[in-house]
Amino acid sequence: MTAGRRRVAVAAWLVGLGAAIAIAVRANYVADLSAFLPSAPTPEQAVLLDQLRDGAASRLVLVGIEGGSANERAAASKRLGAALRASGRFASVDNGDSAPWQDAGRFVFAHRYALSPAVDAARFTSDGLRAAIDDTLSLLGTPAGSLVKPILLRDPTGETLRIAEALTPARAPRSEDGVWVSRVAPRAVLVMTTRAGGADLDGQEQALATIRAEFAKVTAAPAKPGTGALRLAVSGAGSFGVAARERIKGEVERLATVGSVAMVALLWLAFASLRSLAIAALPVATGVLAGIAAVSLGFGQVHGMTLGFGTTLIGEGVDYAIYYLIQARPAGRDAKEEGAAGRWLRDSWPTVCLGLFTSLIGFAALVFAGFPGLAQLGVFSIAGLSAAAATTRFVFPVIAPHGTPGQGLRARLGRFMRRGAALLPRGRPVFAALAVLAVATLVALPSPWHGELADLSPIAVADLQLDAALRADVGAPDAGTLVAVSAGDAAGALAAAEAVGARLDGLVDAGQLGGYDSPARFLPSPAMQRARLAALPDATTLATRLAAATEGGALPATRLAPFVDDVQAARGALPFDRGALDGTPLASAVDALLLRGDGARPWRALLNLQPAEGRTLDADRVRAAIAGIPGAQVVRIKAELDALYARYLEQASWQAAIGAAAVVVLLGLHLRRWRRLVAVLLPLAAAVLIVLAALAASGAALGILHLVGLLLTIAIGSNYALFFDHLRQKAEVDEDTLASLLLANLTTVISFGLLATSRIPVLHAVGIVVAPGTLLCLLLSAAFIARAAPGEPYGKIREG
Amino acid sequence: MPTRATALRPERRAFVTRAAPGLVALGAGVAPGGAVAAAEFDLAQLAALLGRVKSGEASFVEKRRVEMLDRTLESSGRLSFRAPDSFTRETLKPRHEKLEVNGNVLTMSLGERSRTLQLDSSPETAVVVEAIRGTLTGNRDALERFFDASVSGSAGRWTLDLVPRDLRLRGQVASVRVFGRESAVREVQVLLGDGDRSTMTIEPLAGNAP
Repeated sequence: MTAGRRRVAVAAWLVGLGAAIAIAVRANYVADLSAFLPSAPTPEQAVLLDQLRDGAASRLVLVGIEGGSANERAAASKRLGAALRASGRFASVDNGDSAPWQDAGRFVFAHRYALSPAVDAARFTSDGLRAAIDDTLSLLGTPAGSLVKPILLRDPTGETLRIAEALTPARAPRSEDGVWVSRVAPRAVLVMTTRAGGADLDGQEQALATIRAEFAKVTAAPAKPGTGALRLAVSGAGSFGVAARERIKGEVERLATVGSVAMVALLWLAFASLRSLAIAALPVATGVLAGIAAVSLGFGQVHGMTLGFGTTLIGEGVDYAIYYLIQARPAGRDAKEEGAAGRWLRDSWPTVCLGLFTSLIGFAALVFAGFPGLAQLGVFSIAGLSAAAATTRFVFPVIAPHGTPGQGLRARLGRFMRRGAALLPRGRPVFAALAVLAVATLVALPSPWHGELADLSPIAVADLQLDAALRADVGAPDAGTLVAVSAGDAAGALAAAEAVGARLDGLVDAGQLGGYDSPARFLPSPAMQRARLAALPDATTLATRLAAATEGGALPATRLAPFVDDVQAARGALPFDRGALDGTPLASAVDALLLRGDGARPWRALLNLQPAEGRTLDADRVRAAIAGIPGAQVVRIKAELDALYARYLEQASWQAAIGAAAVVVLLGLHLRRWRRLVAVLLPLAAAVLIVLAALAASGAALGILHLVGLLLTIAIGSNYALFFDHLRQKAEVDEDTLASLLLANLTTVISFGLLATSRIPVLHAVGIVVAPGTLLCLLLSAAFIARAAPGEPYGKIREG
Repeated sequence: MPTRATALRPERRAFVTRAAPGLVALGAGVAPGGAVAAAEFDLAQLAALLGRVKSGEASFVEKRRVEMLDRTLESSGRLSFRAPDSFTRETLKPRHEKLEVNGNVLTMSLGERSRTLQLDSSPETAVVVEAIRGTLTGNRDALERFFDASVSGSAGRWTLDLVPRDLRLRGQVASVRVFGRESAVREVQVLLGDGDRSTMTIEPLAGNAP
């Protein structure tokens, strides 16, 4: 390099570093759960995933109040419910208290002829009126009569009650002292929906903070002494998201701290020189910054998990520094200054470069793995490794032309490595036996590839148990089965929901379905509303028919003038729309089930299905029942997600296979001889098989991330195999080179080993495969690629 | 108008409670048990007497007086009961209507329509169901959990007075009075919170299992 080119290289590095810092500082750092969901290939799955990310289920908060007496819990539930309704952070707060439904009751009564599923022309014939009035009268003289009597003369056909009936959930929570309670534990339960979207973790966190603060107020000023013993339990997608974010933040800090400390310690062992330590940190820092900048530019945000994964980049990036600093020493005392770096670039850089390319191929598989979170990891690693390698290649020869001055414990490491390299080939039978055993284990055991999407979720088991308990208390549907219909506008979606509902009613009446929720119950389509209102007779006709219907009955027509007036008023009414529901609990109920469309996607209505009491839901029967309704489909959420994941696993298998093949091709091109290629590949294959067999034997459920880990093992492990191959070709081998190899491997094992200790499943899965895998790659490469001459595996050893 | 609102409460009491008084009448069809000779006939003795009967069938006639209406409403049908926790009330006149309770699940059928509901989600319904379930099975604990219960008369001709313990529920059901002879329930009177009342007379059918 000329002096001019050097200046250009350093200047380019500094400019790039500055730009990366600028981008990284402004980057949007997130830690939500959506990165753990696959990106969806079809519009249907996109809707499903949208729902999971931001739908009603993602905004549901379940609250339990435990401790104290039943009266205290009920009082606390009422006060907490009222306070939370007033807080404005919740679209709905239900605790069994009927007070908030008064507005809904008024609305339903006012719009009963547009809302009631019973309204049609037949109902307003003489016979229909008689039957309807008899129905209503049958309630009088019963406890329900007190509800009917005040509206009897305006609503003798009982439309308000019919609507209430249709809105009655088949499974409601147990009610005691006027509030919902658990059936199995001494606990009052509340269900609420946040106004903040499920993906808005800050909003979710504020909502959770509001719940805690209001609960603290309720218990701080107890209605009776002793209420202080009450405890709060909160669950729901939002709290999961917030908890996961906390956990990811904590993990990232822990990984970065421990990773950095471990690296510094290792480098101190290697160099025992602060200057070398600082220089070795440059490629790592450059790589991390470049990675963050690339992800930020490519995705618009940087996930916390990506930063956690970044610790592995510390491990890999530092390898380049180690290789250079140790290996780029003056060849001899008489060598010129320029010679050290130049010799390294000539001798070792091609091997390092090849190792870089195999690693890049491995990480490229992540980019296409179909999960946004993984794609970030891939882009981060590719950009980071490239930047770290480029820093080493172009900047190090300028700032550290002599490599490192320090020695540290390198000589000992090198001697240890040399002894190991001499001993390991003797263990060949053992390693071969291990590999055979691994193959036998894999053949004998059932396939371990049965990981699920849920395995990727970083939610603690205890949290899931609390969630399941609270869900059971309130009868909140878990990820179950629903019917989705789509149309170009709200009216079309609601009409389709009505068509589906008509078919589902048949299943409900036949006892094959427990019930279902439909947005059309709260907001009938304009066509349906018009049809119902058009079925209402004019005043004269109604009066005539009413006279016939009530003849000889207990309720004479003469008293029903208010009814005739109300029907007349309803006939002239226009269909109401979603806006009319504002301020009532019906609004949030509709919003949860009717998804707004836009230019890109259609309006969509969701009908949640509840199985009949004591039976499981028969999706095929539902599918048969709704056959022929355009745009209607049965979505089994769990099955759909499993299918989606299975598809990705299959796709990822192909990508991994292609990635592995690309690594092999690259190696083949470099090695140019079949024998050398096979010698390099065999240890890698054996390492992969042994790791796989060990995981299978431990009973782990393997998924996409383990597959990715295997590919990374091959990509990174091939570096070591290549080095041994490289060494075998050389006439003389020094202990420093061996030491650098051992150090590089240790950094990799440590960084991925750290990932394996992570409680974030995504990181854990990659770490648990790559850490032992790369260590095995080193051992097996040393055992099989080295020359078998005992004591002198690399020919003449040059004493450093 | 709170009443309209309560019709829409999540627990939707209106829908359920229409059937409730019928349940009270399910004391029908209990077979005559052995005579219990005791000077002071109390709840414990009545519970023991009633608890002997495991199933039964009966016909009923119900008359309801409603302040708003010009005349008394009358209906009739069949009742059946099987220990430990199943009831059916089938109204045959004036219109067909069926109500079944199995454990905690209540099923209503009216014409083509059928709906189910969990009893414990609607205390208003549960209180009337438990009145009769507790009476028929002789479950003194259940009766005393829900009601202030008092017994008068003798085993040959007794009266059981039940007043809901929960003050809120008394607004709906003020009191229930059950008349019986030996282990047979013969009449159930329900006084509602608004002053309306219903009287159901019960005639056991032959062939009742002991």
